[in-house]
Amino acid sequence: MKRLLSLALGVMTAIGGFVDIGNLVTSGVTGARFGLSLVWALAFGTLAMTLYGEMSGRITAIAGRPVFHLVRERLGVRMAMVNLAASLLLNLLTVAAELGGVGLALYLASSISYILWVPIIGFLVWFCIWRIPFNVIDNVFGLLGLALVVFVVALVRLHPDWHAMGAAAIHPVVPAGEGHATWFFYAVTLIGACVVPYQAFFFSSGVIEEGWSEKNLLEVRVNALVGFPLGGALSLGIMAAAVPVLEPRGIEVDHLGQVALPVTAALGKVGLIIALVGFFAATFAAAVESALSSGYILAQYFGWTWGKYRTPARAPRFHAACLITVILATGLVLTTIDPVKITVISVALGAAAIPLTFFPVLVVANDREYMGRHVNKGWVNVLAMLVFIVLVIVSVATVPLLFWTKAGQ
Amino acid sequence: MTEWQHQVCDANDLLLDRLILDCDGQPAGMVDDLELTETPGSALVVSAILCGPTALGPRLGGRIGTWWLAIGRRLRPLDDPYPVRIPFGDVVALDRRQLTVRRPGAENKTWRLRDWVYEKVIRRIPGGTR
Repeated sequence: MKRLLSLALGVMTAIGGFVDIGNLVTSGVTGARFGLSLVWALAFGTLAMTLYGEMSGRITAIAGRPVFHLVRERLGVRMAMVNLAASLLLNLLTVAAELGGVGLALYLASSISYILWVPIIGFLVWFCIWRIPFNVIDNVFGLLGLALVVFVVALVRLHPDWHAMGAAAIHPVVPAGEGHATWFFYAVTLIGACVVPYQAFFFSSGVIEEGWSEKNLLEVRVNALVGFPLGGALSLGIMAAAVPVLEPRGIEVDHLGQVALPVTAALGKVGLIIALVGFFAATFAAAVESALSSGYILAQYFGWTWGKYRTPARAPRFHAACLITVILATGLVLTTIDPVKITVISVALGAAAIPLTFFPVLVVANDREYMGRHVNKGWVNVLAMLVFIVLVIVSVATVPLLFWTKAGQ
Repeated sequence: MTEWQHQVCDANDLLLDRLILDCDGQPAGMVDDLELTETPGSALVVSAILCGPTALGPRLGGRIGTWWLAIGRRLRPLDDPYPVRIPFGDVVALDRRQLTVRRPGAENKTWRLRDWVYEKVIRRIPGGTR
């Protein structure tokens, strides 16, 4: 019974943890602009994250090695350094985007400009990293993030034309008046929102933070195999809710507030409040997680002591790295750069960088000396290779698409 | 090339970029490079593990590597030889994932940055001395 409860808790926090500012923005934007014609990209992104998330969690539980150790071990110092630099930059953009997201959620609730909230939020994010135990952050914000289920409730209450929506999802066509390049660019952002590098680093380092080993393999796998797909389903709910409300009116989402419009339309103020709680929890948790990830990957590349399970005095470099990340990200948001734009750019670049992280994971998941009898099964490898090939194509196409479409304008 | 459990593998597979644990099981750095010494029989043996930016820089190569080495060299105490050297005799256990050394991390010069960050930053933040 206790095991079952802890499994359920893990799954629920994994759902909440999967959805962050990237999913909120890309699902809202694409639902309003392209209807359900990009569901395939969301489904693919979720599949990729589930598959590789499970592998990296399994490796960490069995071999005791978090992802960035493997990156350095298997890519060599130079490529791993490239990956480290790219991932640190992306993490910085992500933390900035999440901080902006929390600020926007608080602005929607209080009408006080998000810029004024950002320094306070930055401080709170750092305070959580400094003082609050890992599993408290994970559980509290993960569970609060489930408030986003209100989008699914709103969708049902809006009585959309289910048949037409299903047909649009299964037979994707580029909507009239939109270019193919823009459509594909947003497909990349949806994929990138699901396979953000920090989530892979955080998920595997989390296994060590929780003190999990081979006997907790069930928890690790259930979190990834059940939690992540349900998180993807939640993103789909946000996308689908935008379709009956925003798409026919031609409302383009360029602000977090517009993502919540379908909920307000269907459920009024109460719905909006619940949605804002969900926005706050999802983005705040993601800000903490992405800032922690910078500390994790630096420490794992250089062999520093790391982890929230160690006191700051025992992992000073790790804590200093997290602190610097939060300070830089807060500074970046305070330049009044548009948080929604940072989000779109960071998820697109994230999709471009991810193969460098997933490749060593796939290699080690097949290494018998590390994994013993827990190596990948044949069909997992086939699926993982196919996913990897698509991700490489995405990664090559991302930067040209980014400039060609001027980040999706 | 060394014989390792009847399998031929090179130092790359076995040693480079592995985690170093100290005698208390704490991470003490990474195997950034290896020192090879020629024995009388003209065979090369691994005589020490090299750590820190002055060992990593040359392996990174290119301009970044040169900078890395230069920064590491300038930040070290003047009278210190570089790079940090852990004699191979201090290694008590190794497998493909990690190696364990006999001395505690605090005696290891790889913890200099750690100690500096603790003294100058972390200790001064309330709650940092926990």
